[in-house]
Amino acid sequence: MADDEDGKEYRWETGYEKTWEAIKEDSEGLLEGPGLDMVQRARRRQRQKLSHTRLGMMRHLYLILDQSEAMTSQDLKPTRHLCTLKLLENFIEEFFDQNPISQLGIISTKNKRAEKIGELAGNPRKHLKVIRGLSTANCSGEPSLQNALDLAIRSLRLLPAHASREVLVLMASLTTCDPGDILVTIQELKTLGVRCSVLSLAAEVHVCRLLARETGGQFGVVLDDCHFRDLLLGHVDPPPAVTGLESSLIKMGFPHHQITEGKEAALSMCMCHVEVSDGEPGGGLKAGGYFCPQCSSKYCELPVECRACNLTLVSAPHLARSYHHLFPVDVYIERERSEFEDSISHCFACRRLYVDSDKHVYECNRCAQVFCLDCDIFIHETMHVCPGCATNQTTVNI
Amino acid sequence: MSEESESSLLVIILDTNPGQRLVQEQAHVLTQCLESVIAFANSHLMLKAANKLAVLACHTKATEFLYPPPETGSQSMCRQHDGQYELFTHVEKTIRQSIQKFVVHHIERIKQEGENTGDTLLAGALAMSLCYIHRLERELTAGAKMNSRILIITGSGDSASQYMNYMNVFFTAQKQNITIDVCSLDQDLGLLQQGCDITGGLYLKIPQLQGLLQYLLWVFLPEPPIREKLVLPPPVKVDYRAACFCHRELIDIGYVCSVCLSIFCKFSPICTTCHTVFKTPGPLPIKPKKKKIKLT
Amino acid sequence: MAQSKNLKCKHLHDYLKTLPTSVLDRLYNHPTTCLAVYRELPEIARHYVIRILFVEQPVPQAVVASWVSQSYSKDHTTVVDVLSGLRVWQEAAIPGGLLGWILNSTFKKNLKIALLGSGKPWSMSSHLEVDSKPRDIPYLDTYALERWECVLHYMVGSQQQEGISADAVRILLHAGLMKRDEEDGSPVITREGFQFLLLDTSSQVWYFILQYLDTVETRGLDLVECLTFLFQLSFSTMGKDYSTEGMSEHLLVFLQHLREFGLVYQRKRKAGRFYPTRLALNIASGHNKSHMNMHREGYIVVETNYRVYAYTDSNLQVALMGLFCEMLYRFPNLSVGILTRDSVRQALRSGITAEQIVGFLHMHAHPRMVMAGPPTLPPTIIDQIKLWENERNRFVFSEGVLYSQFLSQADFEALHEFAQESGLLVWSNAQRRTMVVTRAGHDDVKRFWKRYSKGGN
Repeated sequence: MADDEDGKEYRWETGYEKTWEAIKEDSEGLLEGPGLDMVQRARRRQRQKLSHTRLGMMRHLYLILDQSEAMTSQDLKPTRHLCTLKLLENFIEEFFDQNPISQLGIISTKNKRAEKIGELAGNPRKHLKVIRGLSTANCSGEPSLQNALDLAIRSLRLLPAHASREVLVLMASLTTCDPGDILVTIQELKTLGVRCSVLSLAAEVHVCRLLARETGGQFGVVLDDCHFRDLLLGHVDPPPAVTGLESSLIKMGFPHHQITEGKEAALSMCMCHVEVSDGEPGGGLKAGGYFCPQCSSKYCELPVECRACNLTLVSAPHLARSYHHLFPVDVYIERERSEFEDSISHCFACRRLYVDSDKHVYECNRCAQVFCLDCDIFIHETMHVCPGCATNQTTVNI
Repeated sequence: MSEESESSLLVIILDTNPGQRLVQEQAHVLTQCLESVIAFANSHLMLKAANKLAVLACHTKATEFLYPPPETGSQSMCRQHDGQYELFTHVEKTIRQSIQKFVVHHIERIKQEGENTGDTLLAGALAMSLCYIHRLERELTAGAKMNSRILIITGSGDSASQYMNYMNVFFTAQKQNITIDVCSLDQDLGLLQQGCDITGGLYLKIPQLQGLLQYLLWVFLPEPPIREKLVLPPPVKVDYRAACFCHRELIDIGYVCSVCLSIFCKFSPICTTCHTVFKTPGPLPIKPKKKKIKLT
Repeated sequence: MAQSKNLKCKHLHDYLKTLPTSVLDRLYNHPTTCLAVYRELPEIARHYVIRILFVEQPVPQAVVASWVSQSYSKDHTTVVDVLSGLRVWQEAAIPGGLLGWILNSTFKKNLKIALLGSGKPWSMSSHLEVDSKPRDIPYLDTYALERWECVLHYMVGSQQQEGISADAVRILLHAGLMKRDEEDGSPVITREGFQFLLLDTSSQVWYFILQYLDTVETRGLDLVECLTFLFQLSFSTMGKDYSTEGMSEHLLVFLQHLREFGLVYQRKRKAGRFYPTRLALNIASGHNKSHMNMHREGYIVVETNYRVYAYTDSNLQVALMGLFCEMLYRFPNLSVGILTRDSVRQALRSGITAEQIVGFLHMHAHPRMVMAGPPTLPPTIIDQIKLWENERNRFVFSEGVLYSQFLSQADFEALHEFAQESGLLVWSNAQRRTMVVTRAGHDDVKRFWKRYSKGGN
């Protein structure tokens, strides 16, 4: 986020960013350059900022995809449209990997209209199919931000109070063609507690920025495809919960996979294939499956909301996938390596010998073990388990 | 390019917890186990020149790398004393020496700190192996490929107390394409079984300890790419049942806190994990709203 | 035609299969050979062997076949062939009339020794005093490379050469990598030689050693002894010294040869100790280029504009590039060349194939190129090099006999029809009443013509 603090001045009005001042010489005259090291430090800092805030875990996110003429521009290769679709595939997979009990919907806008092309649902496969199907769709006309937002509001307002509601707009056009006053819509989004973020593929547009600021979302302009990917993946992690979000206990079912024991298992139709068969052979007739513990309807995959009794059916690992957002590993303290000179020769986790270029090491507060920078990043960004604490009886359960 | 140009890293995690039922009944079981593990480890190295090995031991208080030995400047390798391949002799000696040190140290700590309680900290050992694998993969030369897997050999039970660590480690392994295999010597391990299922590894509870080496060689020596060609025990269907946070009982229907996703078996007004106060009984306000959806 | 002349680098197994069975059995008396053979088995075969390594009785064949899942039964048959071919296992009858497999007992005993211990130490592991001036790994690497490049230099004939021994020259000649010039008798490089130069180092060493082993017996050395020693070397540890104590006269001679090619390092001829180098390690797996690429960084950058940049100061490497590039500039650590149609055709003419050029560029690609890949090399360049090769294959020569000056269209057509039906026709032109038949078919056609013209008249 270039200037998320939203100062009154524009970026070109601010002073120079003196990037060259970041380069320092160490005692031997070598450059402690703005290389990888600095990037990684920056990531560390970013992590430090957001720990221990309440998060909105049950996310309901609408992706609003601009499919106007502006998407055909070739500044992202091969075109903005194809590049976006490619990145979205990755995003959707990643999103459901990190937020397994969340739901996603897709709205497309072109020719001054908005159309819901993917219902709010928790199954990545359907969305991926939609996204793949879009690659042949043609982009034309102008987008309508207001129409798209209204469409999103219509289904988001019906959600229970504990759900976190979000909209992510991917905007390529610099204009929007709206039927009414968009400020009213923005106000409505605000009162509903819908968090709207906008990624612009072209440039900053006032109304988009306003939308993001008013509703507590983020606004970004992509520089190139890599930056686009980074910004997009930034929306994978659950955002801080909107103030006023109610909390409640939700009844959920944990069905177990059942294969009828003994004689020939009877084939039965599962609820997810009853209405639409995906053209798969067999059309959903299978022997085993997951049975809703409340009404015994059968489903072939989880997570799903029972169509008969509205019970959310999940499996325990789905919930477990999200725990690391809620119980993150404490940030390690950066220490000079010289402090430990002789006592510690290698990283506790990966056994790498420290070499002269390791100026800093990272110490865990709780188990007092010391790690190298690479492990620090790996532990905090991927693994979410401190190997030191997890191998120490006194610190393993807190 | 070809399959041959890939190397394969095997990380073995050996449970040396003296509290294991097997060890308490017959102390020599551990020695016998160790013999088999060393032979198995060397068999892995024998498969391909490029294969790599790491062995960790873990018990209730610590985890330590048995092999490879800590990198120091001078490597003093012993001379051959019989017809065994030098590298294998080296592996065997290193593992024996370090496990001796490790166990003796552990006994001293028990003497100092009193009772040896608690479970083996397998999740921690897994976390360490993942860091180690992560580092080796980072250090690979560009273009090289390495298949990594972890084999856990344990006689203790798994406990829900490390549930969160286990799950995080399993998902990390899945993401990094690391297979986790489990060889249980004594009891059925529900949690680790889930780990095998998530990462596509094999789970085997061996029926008798005598044939440990043969079981290891048959089932766990083939690395994942070749496993599809061989006939191996089929994966067991794992039940991912949820246990509530309050009584640790398996449940079918439960209540989940919308803030921290803790699972409870009964409705309570305050979440014991994150101390959130719930306003209204959860399921009631949902239903009328859902009906509205159908109307619109 | 070009295909048949390509340099073939033999697999260890192919080589072992050429040996008489008695030699093979003697070889299996040493744990090292068993280990080397084992490592080169197909992957499934390795698992077969380890599964029955600790089984004393023969295992029924049907049982072994059931180890592989149905869809891969083809793999199973090849594996069975390989294992039987190398005499690793044998058929044995099981009580009850079934046939079973049992491991070759010598092989089994010695593989077990290699894996688990016991038995005699290998010949070179006698006790040694600590070397006062131990050599470290980087030193050995540079030494080995220097020695090896000496041989290559000699082949390219570049100026840097130090003389190499008459023995080495003899091997090069024997291997057909060089031949005596017809005029002055000095050795010159052959087309196989060019192909040899473009191989990766470990394949070169293995090929060279195979050729050397061919000549071993004429020097009065024992093949089994040499092979065993070679395998021992290949399983030794880098940077560790070994003793020459207890080695026979023959082996010491062999050691001196290996020293010349840089496979071992010895400070003095009679030093009593030697260090194996990276060239000798895992020598038997030389054909699979994976791990032993001398740990040398790639140095070649290829751009889509056909320019080739080589970050190297070695004359040899520049000379190698010069085989198929037009060299433009030379700087202390960088040489720049350009791939042109002419330069590549020049290489093709000297017997190098497009595949080998691409392989060479690929093998020595700069780490930056590898990192940016895949594909490592620009596909356009690869395609163009292959097109240039195909360009040379536009003509297909086939010998034939020309028939012309037919008196009538009918005569021509009759003969044409006959030739076509019997598949002897190569080419024909009805308007000019000419046709070409294959040389082999000439007699047939002639006979037919005689019969036809007699009958007609």
